[in-house]
Amino acid sequence: MQHAFAARDDRPWAFFTNDEARWMAAVVDVFIPQDEFPAASQAGVVDFIDYQMATAYGAGKGLYLEPPFPDGAVAEQGYQLEFTPAQLLRQGIEQARQLGDFATMDATARADHVEDLSNRDDFIGTLIAELWKLTRQGYFADPIYLGNHDYAGWRMVGFPGAHAYYTERVDEHERSVTPPPRGIAHDRGGSPYPPRAIRGGSD
Amino acid sequence: MAPRTLPKTDVLIIGGGWTGLTAAYELAHAGQRCVVLERGKQRHTATSFGAPEEHDELKYAHRYEHMVDVKKETLTFRHNRDQQALPMRRLGSFLPGSGLGGAGIHWNGQLWRPLPSDLEMRSHYEERYGKDFIGPDLSIQDWGVTYDELEPHLDFFERICGAAGQAGNLNGEALAGGNVFEGPRSADYPNPPMRQPISNTLFGKAAERMGLNPFPMPSANVTKAYVNPYGAQLHPCTYCGFCERFGCGYYAKADPIICVYDRIKDHENFEIRLNAQVLRIEKSEDGKTATGAIYLDENGEEVFQPADTICMNAYALWNVHLMLVSGLGKPYDPETRTGVVGRNYSYQTVAGVDAFFDDSVKTDPYMGAGALGVVIDDYNGDNFDHSDLGFVGGGYIACKQYHGRPIGYQPVPEGTPKWGAEWKRAVRENYNHHADLVVHGSSVSTPENYLDLDPTWTDAYGRPLLRMTFDFPENDRKMSDYVMQRAMEVAREMDNVTSVSGSNNAAIDSHYDIVPYQTTHNVGGAVIGTDPETSVVNRYGQMWDHHNVFVFGACLFPQNLGYNPTGPLMGLAYWTLEHMKRDYLPNPGPLMDA
Repeated sequence: MQHAFAARDDRPWAFFTNDEARWMAAVVDVFIPQDEFPAASQAGVVDFIDYQMATAYGAGKGLYLEPPFPDGAVAEQGYQLEFTPAQLLRQGIEQARQLGDFATMDATARADHVEDLSNRDDFIGTLIAELWKLTRQGYFADPIYLGNHDYAGWRMVGFPGAHAYYTERVDEHERSVTPPPRGIAHDRGGSPYPPRAIRGGSD
Repeated sequence: MAPRTLPKTDVLIIGGGWTGLTAAYELAHAGQRCVVLERGKQRHTATSFGAPEEHDELKYAHRYEHMVDVKKETLTFRHNRDQQALPMRRLGSFLPGSGLGGAGIHWNGQLWRPLPSDLEMRSHYEERYGKDFIGPDLSIQDWGVTYDELEPHLDFFERICGAAGQAGNLNGEALAGGNVFEGPRSADYPNPPMRQPISNTLFGKAAERMGLNPFPMPSANVTKAYVNPYGAQLHPCTYCGFCERFGCGYYAKADPIICVYDRIKDHENFEIRLNAQVLRIEKSEDGKTATGAIYLDENGEEVFQPADTICMNAYALWNVHLMLVSGLGKPYDPETRTGVVGRNYSYQTVAGVDAFFDDSVKTDPYMGAGALGVVIDDYNGDNFDHSDLGFVGGGYIACKQYHGRPIGYQPVPEGTPKWGAEWKRAVRENYNHHADLVVHGSSVSTPENYLDLDPTWTDAYGRPLLRMTFDFPENDRKMSDYVMQRAMEVAREMDNVTSVSGSNNAAIDSHYDIVPYQTTHNVGGAVIGTDPETSVVNRYGQMWDHHNVFVFGACLFPQNLGYNPTGPLMGLAYWTLEHMKRDYLPNPGPLMDA
């Protein structure tokens, strides 16, 4: 642990630039907007994706990237781009930002714009599909990965987490309340790191 | 540089999963010096799979930490010979394992026996429905070994696992509450069935009202403290909901490490080498026998391990790959329909039915286990009349509750938007009120679904990748749709259900998709049989072309049955090992005339 004030310091992004993070926040909050439960960015989804991109998954762990990359793939053959996830996000965000400026859009326009991007038949479409997958992972993964802050996702559905022992309860069909969530690290909020502030705001 | 050659061993076993470790156990006790080569790392149930660290959905269920690394070994895939096969760049549809215990540490524990008719599929259908009932575009064939011959071995493996279930046919006597369609068992399950949650219970009640025959899914999630015949101690299941894709640190899911490895690891005839990647099997000058295997040791150096007998115990797909890159057996050619290695690859048809309850039924889906289900077998195999249906085969319908892990478990009713506020509300409102039905169906073999070597891409060791040419046969699409409709009828009959929807991986007018997870039940490619023109191994699992090579695993299945493969393939493994010990090793040579 760092000194007592470290958590208050403005933690820099590990992978994103501030502009990228702002764009990311707008997209992930279209996927999971705020209601009685936090929006994706409020639950740390941008922090989660930033961390994933800076570590093994972003660098292409578990991804076979040997050439060639011929044209003509059918969708059922799966991912056929030559980019690691980190490369896909960096280049994809740069191009996608040319196609629209979230800062000028209201919530409805943002949702429509993300929908349009997702329907594209190029790698922007693949980027949006990847971000949707990462968003759900960030909202619902154990908080040790910096998303699901304060168990936002687990509280929303009623998932008790990693400490699981139900032998005596599974066939009691009129049962008690769901236990409160507890993650791998035991912490009350699952992780000592709150989501970073998105500079300039996502809204 | 020529590889370093080690002293010869009696038996060389390639792969340290269920079949490989079992072969080592049985053959070491028969006086054979056994060397097991496992490409993956050392790990142990006690030290590697403990909660809460193992209960990390992201790491194990979505980053595939226990699975094969596609950077080292993957395959290419296409639907038919007119397409270019492209690499499976990421895992998806199926998840082969790597490391001690293989895929056996991250299975669900659904432990089935084949139906007697499954093992004689062609002759059974021809006898009941006539010679022409199976169309000419299907290469369905008999296994060459019968249920009665496998029964003692199926029974023994259930004892190794401490299986939990309810017998439906004990020595020909029908027992209420079990599977009325199963073949006769020589003994009851060693442990009582699992405790069932509300969703599965309501499914069973609905099925019973409809005149169907529900029973608890046979399970290798153990229900009582139990000691298996090898002396392994197992413990009762905690219903933690982290089964498939995870190891079980509770010692409650039978796995090859605790059930077999721990009981053989100190035996004087047993040696295992981890991080030992087999590159190819070498043949004698006359080509009639294999002499040993070349592998990369943990330092990346090539080593030759000579052996009198070789057991191929890799995952189904990699056994076929190893045969092809080693020149063992004649490769299948779909043009001429000759050759056998790679022939009759098939998969599994999986459809799902979602039923949503009103608020009065709270399912608590996080209380789950891999084989926690209530099943009907009324539409599996040939348990129902196929005369007018236009297809062969079938599947079981199970209501199961195997996990509520929230990244992967987000059931929403049909018509819910794919994301946004409405999606979020639907996830929240339905998480605790959902019944998860699966149709787990057979998949027949055809002359156009096969495995060979890819001309373009290579693995990390410079070998051509395996190439899979596969799409669901028309027969299977019709079958899967038919059984899914029956599942939807049961779902609609369930109490307090407000909506029902179905989705089918083998839907009519769609193509097999290698992206979404379906099952790790790839079968065939090195099939068992009684005719060397249509099988790689004889009915004892011995290669026709190389009598000192024995083949294990689901690559032996001539087509896929409606059940999960581990029970049937372990029955075959013990059958092969019995014949190795009794007939082959005292007098090596072909066990059948070609």
